[in-house]
Amino acid sequence: MNNPFSKLSMNKKLALVAFTLGLVAVFAGNPYRGNSVTLDTKELALIVDKTVDHVSPEELADWIIQGKADFKLLDLRTEKEFNEYHIPNADLVPLAELSEYPLLRNEKIILYSEGGIHSAQAWLLLRAKGYKAVYMLFGGLEEWTDKILFPKLPQNATPEQAASFEKMKEVSKYFGGSPQTDTSGQEVASTKPMPKLEMPAQAKPDAAPKKKKKEGC
Amino acid sequence: MNAPFYKYGLFGDDISLVVAFVIGIGFGFFLERGGFGNGRKLAAQFYFNDLTVFKVMFTAIITAMIGIYYLSVIGWMDLSLVYLNPTYIVPQTIGGLLLGFGFVIGGYCPGTSCVSAATGKIDGMVYLLGIVAGIFIFGEIFPFVSNFYNSTPMGQITLSQLFDIPYGILVFAVVLMAIGGFAAAQWAEKKLGNKIVGPEL
Amino acid sequence: MSSTSSEIQHGPKPYWNPYLSGIGLGLVLLLSYIIMGRGLGASGAFSSLVATGVSTIAPEHAKANEFYNEYLADTTKSPLKDWLVFEVLGVFVGGFISGALAGRIKKTVEKGPRISVSGRLVYAFIGGTIMGFGAKLARGCTSGQALTGGAVLNVGSWAFMLAVFGGAYMIAYFFRRQWK
Repeated sequence: MNNPFSKLSMNKKLALVAFTLGLVAVFAGNPYRGNSVTLDTKELALIVDKTVDHVSPEELADWIIQGKADFKLLDLRTEKEFNEYHIPNADLVPLAELSEYPLLRNEKIILYSEGGIHSAQAWLLLRAKGYKAVYMLFGGLEEWTDKILFPKLPQNATPEQAASFEKMKEVSKYFGGSPQTDTSGQEVASTKPMPKLEMPAQAKPDAAPKKKKKEGC
Repeated sequence: MNAPFYKYGLFGDDISLVVAFVIGIGFGFFLERGGFGNGRKLAAQFYFNDLTVFKVMFTAIITAMIGIYYLSVIGWMDLSLVYLNPTYIVPQTIGGLLLGFGFVIGGYCPGTSCVSAATGKIDGMVYLLGIVAGIFIFGEIFPFVSNFYNSTPMGQITLSQLFDIPYGILVFAVVLMAIGGFAAAQWAEKKLGNKIVGPEL
Repeated sequence: MSSTSSEIQHGPKPYWNPYLSGIGLGLVLLLSYIIMGRGLGASGAFSSLVATGVSTIAPEHAKANEFYNEYLADTTKSPLKDWLVFEVLGVFVGGFISGALAGRIKKTVEKGPRISVSGRLVYAFIGGTIMGFGAKLARGCTSGQALTGGAVLNVGSWAFMLAVFGGAYMIAYFFRRQWK
């Protein structure tokens, strides 16, 4: 078997392999992915179907009160809206800047917007980029305002509803909201003032130094 | 599973320390295999007698470089998640010069001195003490050098970005340069009488 | 080089083909990148050690010093519980294993014929000191910057690498008595 390759010394063989790999590299393209992604449409559809793609306002409120720092909360609205009111510990990230925003791959990401459309779009973008733990706030800020800031006790409430309302009162006060106990059943919607943003002191102090992992040498 | 595994949350910080230990073992193992626990062999590089340092270093660099490149191109590895030391061009160059001095005067670099000490070389152990002293001095005078230390930052930047040359072409260029260097090294060693440093008996 | 006889080979085995060692080293580096998304290093472990030492002896001084504080900032854990520290411990072990397998463990001092042992040790210490200082200035050493950064085409790392070779060749002549 007259294989010219096998006649070379080992060093020359290695050099040839290296040379070939290098040569192919000239044509192989850009190693950075940039902004193109591949979507598994079926997988995404299944996730939506199973409704494991969102968190409820109650859950989120709970996590914030407990001081959990294992998630990132992103507000997708405009700066003006953000300054008027935002959920504590949220970061403002307009949808257009979302792909550049630094996000760790192993932390939970929760998205919210006014209703649900923008957060759903952002959800898709992030999932397409391969982030696995992405969730939308169910009902967006509207639901948050309704359920957390200004919870209402319905007329003719059952005992369970009353009990859970008592609990919601505490939660609401924590966030600076005002529980609605008027029983007239009237819509007092737009006159409710949004709470000011002096949030509980334990908001963010420990979050910053925790994440600084040294990777140099 | 996508790479880098750790960045995708495959395991946590504690396991990463075990990973570090195991990788370190591999690192130290191959350093010693190549003879890098021997200060005479390392220094011989700079007298053109034994160019093993160049051969091993650049073979290692192109092996890893090719591996990273191809794994990223096929999409298995996410290159944007791979850590890049930020560049501070002037202090790094000056530090490199000092390191070169230390290499010849002392005969080792931090990694190789560990291997040397682990195989019983007293000069390697003394060298380690020197490193500790050097870092201590640096730390103590840090307030005076910190401006210089932080000067000329260029951020995280690759040669590809700096020269605006496609990454793949640079991979090829580095491979060519390495192969050319190896050929030149073989020639130089032979010309100067093949004074390759081996382990003493 | 190959001993085909059945004699037991006494003494240390010769070193490996440098290209094979290089490939082995490169694969370890590649593995580090694949698993951790970062490369190797060495000098950083010593920095952690020094910072720990200083903070044990003079904690206030250590905290006030920006350089040490970088290694002490995470107060939830000891600065020695660091990736590089564990990696360097592994380097010791790996070097030992390879040396033991090849019969190269020996209490000795590597030096040229024209210098005394004590002279060599003095130089080793001085060289180590200069290198420790330089490594911190350059934010890394040959393992961390040259190898690791070199493989990902990091600009600073390549500049560093050229400077190391340049600096070493520059003064090699003046120290030839130590080695030849």
